[in-house]
Amino acid sequence: MKKKNITLKATKINGLPWILPAFIFVVGIIYYSIFYTFNLSTLDWNGLDPVQTRVGMSNFTKALSDWVFWKAIRNTIVFFIITFVIQNFLGFILAAILHTKVKLATVHKCLIFIPTILAPATMAPVFRLLFSPQGMLQDIFDTLHLGITVDWLSKPNSALFILMIVAVWEFTGMSFILYYAAMSQIDKEMLEASRLDGAGNFRTLWNMVLPNCKGTTVSLAMLGIIGALKTFDIPYLITTGGPNHATEFLGTYIYRQGIRQSHLGYAAAISVMLLVLAISGAILINKMNKGDEK
Amino acid sequence: MFEIRSLKSKVILQIVLLILTIPYAIPLVQMFLGSLGGKGFLNYKAVWDTGVVPIYFRNSLIISAGVILLVYIFSMTAGFGFAKLHIFGKEVFFWLILVALTLPEVILLSPLFVTFQQMHLFNTFFAVILPVAALQLPFTILLARNFNSGIPNELMEAASIDGANVFSMFWYVILPLTKPIASSIIVLTLINSWNTYLLPLLFLQSPDKQTVTLLPQYFQGEFTNDQTKILAAAVLIAIPEIIVYLLMQKNFEKGMSAGALK
Amino acid sequence: MKKARVVLVVLVALMLMMTTVLAGCSSSKKTEDTSTETSGEVVWWGWTPGSPTNEKYIAEFNKQYPNIKVTWKQTSIDDYDAAIKPALANGQGVDAFEVSAGSGNGGVRVFGGQAIDLTDAVKKALGDDYKNKLNASSITTMTVDGKLKGLGVGTVYSGNLWINQDLFDKYNVKVPTNYEEWKTACKTFKEHGIDGFVQGAGQGAFNMDTFHAIADNVSPGTFTKATRGEVKWTDESIVKALELWKGLFDDGIMQKGALGLQQYPDANNLFMSQKAAMVMMGSWYTSNTLPDTMKAAIESASSSEKPFTLIPINFPDIAGTGKTGSMFGDLDYSTAVSATSKNIKAATTFAVWLGTSQSGQQIIADSLNVVPSLKSATPNWDSVKLVNPEKQNDAVKKYLENAMSSVDNARFAGINADMNQAMMDVLAGVAGGTITPKDGAAKLATTQADSK
Repeated sequence: MKKKNITLKATKINGLPWILPAFIFVVGIIYYSIFYTFNLSTLDWNGLDPVQTRVGMSNFTKALSDWVFWKAIRNTIVFFIITFVIQNFLGFILAAILHTKVKLATVHKCLIFIPTILAPATMAPVFRLLFSPQGMLQDIFDTLHLGITVDWLSKPNSALFILMIVAVWEFTGMSFILYYAAMSQIDKEMLEASRLDGAGNFRTLWNMVLPNCKGTTVSLAMLGIIGALKTFDIPYLITTGGPNHATEFLGTYIYRQGIRQSHLGYAAAISVMLLVLAISGAILINKMNKGDEK
Repeated sequence: MFEIRSLKSKVILQIVLLILTIPYAIPLVQMFLGSLGGKGFLNYKAVWDTGVVPIYFRNSLIISAGVILLVYIFSMTAGFGFAKLHIFGKEVFFWLILVALTLPEVILLSPLFVTFQQMHLFNTFFAVILPVAALQLPFTILLARNFNSGIPNELMEAASIDGANVFSMFWYVILPLTKPIASSIIVLTLINSWNTYLLPLLFLQSPDKQTVTLLPQYFQGEFTNDQTKILAAAVLIAIPEIIVYLLMQKNFEKGMSAGALK
Repeated sequence: MKKARVVLVVLVALMLMMTTVLAGCSSSKKTEDTSTETSGEVVWWGWTPGSPTNEKYIAEFNKQYPNIKVTWKQTSIDDYDAAIKPALANGQGVDAFEVSAGSGNGGVRVFGGQAIDLTDAVKKALGDDYKNKLNASSITTMTVDGKLKGLGVGTVYSGNLWINQDLFDKYNVKVPTNYEEWKTACKTFKEHGIDGFVQGAGQGAFNMDTFHAIADNVSPGTFTKATRGEVKWTDESIVKALELWKGLFDDGIMQKGALGLQQYPDANNLFMSQKAAMVMMGSWYTSNTLPDTMKAAIESASSSEKPFTLIPINFPDIAGTGKTGSMFGDLDYSTAVSATSKNIKAATTFAVWLGTSQSGQQIIADSLNVVPSLKSATPNWDSVKLVNPEKQNDAVKKYLENAMSSVDNARFAGINADMNQAMMDVLAGVAGGTITPKDGAAKLATTQADSK
């Protein structure tokens, strides 16, 4: 039997049954939680009482006038910007270097990616030790007689910076792998041509390689903003949001308010705002990206 | 990417690389050194003597296996469907799934514990496997969809000329070609499910259902906090992950290279 | 876009329906008690003191009740509340669980609702005059709505310092009794490369102890009165206490970087590895006067030093009022029995044994970790051997006697969750200079008023 319009036929097959199970599963669990959270945000409840009091929007107004809430948002923004720049800069450069003939490339690749594999829960005690006066860094500074005290987790400003270093350590691997992959796809002939035209290494990198990795950069930006908003493990396990909320993030604040202090309704309200911010952020980046492609 | 001609440049590049990657090794060294404090390698023996290491490992394995299975099946089918097939309102479905990426784990806790209670899933592995899988899927479906887009339609048409139905096309044509992206998906999912901390902490009560991420708890009493043993436990947890990654490295890279994120 | 809209609406409707259906499903599970007073399986949850100590208690228990199998489930102190809440709500996997008097973790006021009333069980074990046989506060702080929800195992007291007498002897430093002496001692030690005093000021609970001690030094009893609302937090003496607290940081008594350290493990490790000469710990630290316990603590501090002479001293009279030696304490932990457990009878037997029986309380006493609730259980000084009996025996005995005679001075029992957080914030803020003592005191006052 001959079939007409073969090219169209293939895509006319109904794909609904193929995506439905995955869809129901993901949406079921996650959207159920989201709606449940919407409901929770209008309550004043501690999770155990049989009585739940409805308080309307007051949890939201409370959040907007809560200095810790705004501090958490400020921390998130600062965190996102700095880690995004450093992480992706390093990932990009390392990917470029490792696409060149260097010795021990595999060892370096592993060293960069292994941090991404290890659980934050596992590494938190290591970092607390490392950045304390009892850690390796202090030993190194002492041997070099540098007179610096490694107490950076105790001061509000440096504490946030240390967490950013930890985040960069953990996620550069991801950024590296993606850039490495994107670079493998670049047309070698194009690079050759630009070299023949006399472009040096850095010119080539900036004008040819970087634009070709744009897709990766955009994806990393979106993942970055969502990741920054979701940040929980690192600040919670290393500094528990301290000292004095200097490293408080929305995720840690939600956890502390909801689970440790049993203000479930308030925590839910902050969660709702977090979701709104995340979706707005993603849409914004998407629009900016589309805007560029004119 | 770089064109290096002279020996001097070669050396400089090598040194720059070294300077950039040494900081990544420092925490790993600290972890190892810290675990040897006090009683040295006896710390590892002490961790082993708690008697729970094999059990916790087994539990983490079961959970990871469950999650990987779910994620693999759903990602492959959905990725294929989104990339190759006709769906009414396709982008809406896809967008709804992607939005789920924005959800922090923390928000799942309260709703799920009420629901799991009512469905009698509490203190079962499902209570961890299901949410972890749901959190992985948006990203893995994205990866699978992009990869599938890269598979030429001609292959499918050729199969349909031979009389294959959709399922056969999927099974015999598409699936074998997705090995690279499957490796990437498996490695990413393994990492995330091996490392989950909050969900097992809250949803698994029985001492015989705990996961490896809860092993350090053993050494954190109210007035005790045995750093040396916690770090030894950390090293023990990290080793399997590193081994699996090293084994699957080639395939993982291939998968990411094959147009994972455009 | 119209196509998309339609799909979206349909999906949202479906999800809303699903949500309401699931929410509507309620299940009532009737839990049957399948245990008896002498047989059953009990899962015992807690955060302290940790393995292998708990297993020792269980082994002793099994000498009397061989047919009750007890399994100890440990969580870290920070995660206890989070982990046990779903377990209790679910009614599965928890039979006996630790509760505390305060609100930091396992607060009896929070979790008491899930526990059964143990009054009858205690009466059966000790008789109707049980109130005379047990430490008074262990009963009052565990009674919620007239019901006895937890059986106190032991009390810990705080308010003093512990010092490394060997280091003091080595560098010929006078044990400080006032502010100037404390400053001098710290300075001298620093010249020899050792921290004089060390504290993990990143962990709020221990800061509260120090603050409480200072407040009691300035004006005894004011702290407790403030928690009850009988005195304002903005009272002069509280502001002065906050100023003195700040002084510890400004005048070099608190070590550099204190705010970034945790008491456990960082400060503890520093002291145990003999890199610091003084630390503020309470009566739970007494167990470190035992050679084996101290050796284990030193090893966890990655040190290979030998056990040293650990001595308790009064909090220095930094306010200059002459009023020192105040101790405050709470039940460190008590045992409650979950109302939805399938092993209520067996779990009750265990709770009663641990909290009120001579054999149970004796082993608690001998571990020198907490002060037992049963008045008749005192450490067996003949068989308990300390590291340096000559220098330590008298000091420790006197110390414990003084602690036990403290009246009506609760450590955390009078502080609810919000005040707990506020106090930690204020203390950290004052220490770091981001809030003045006066404003800090005002914040405490408003938080207390709001949280009522």
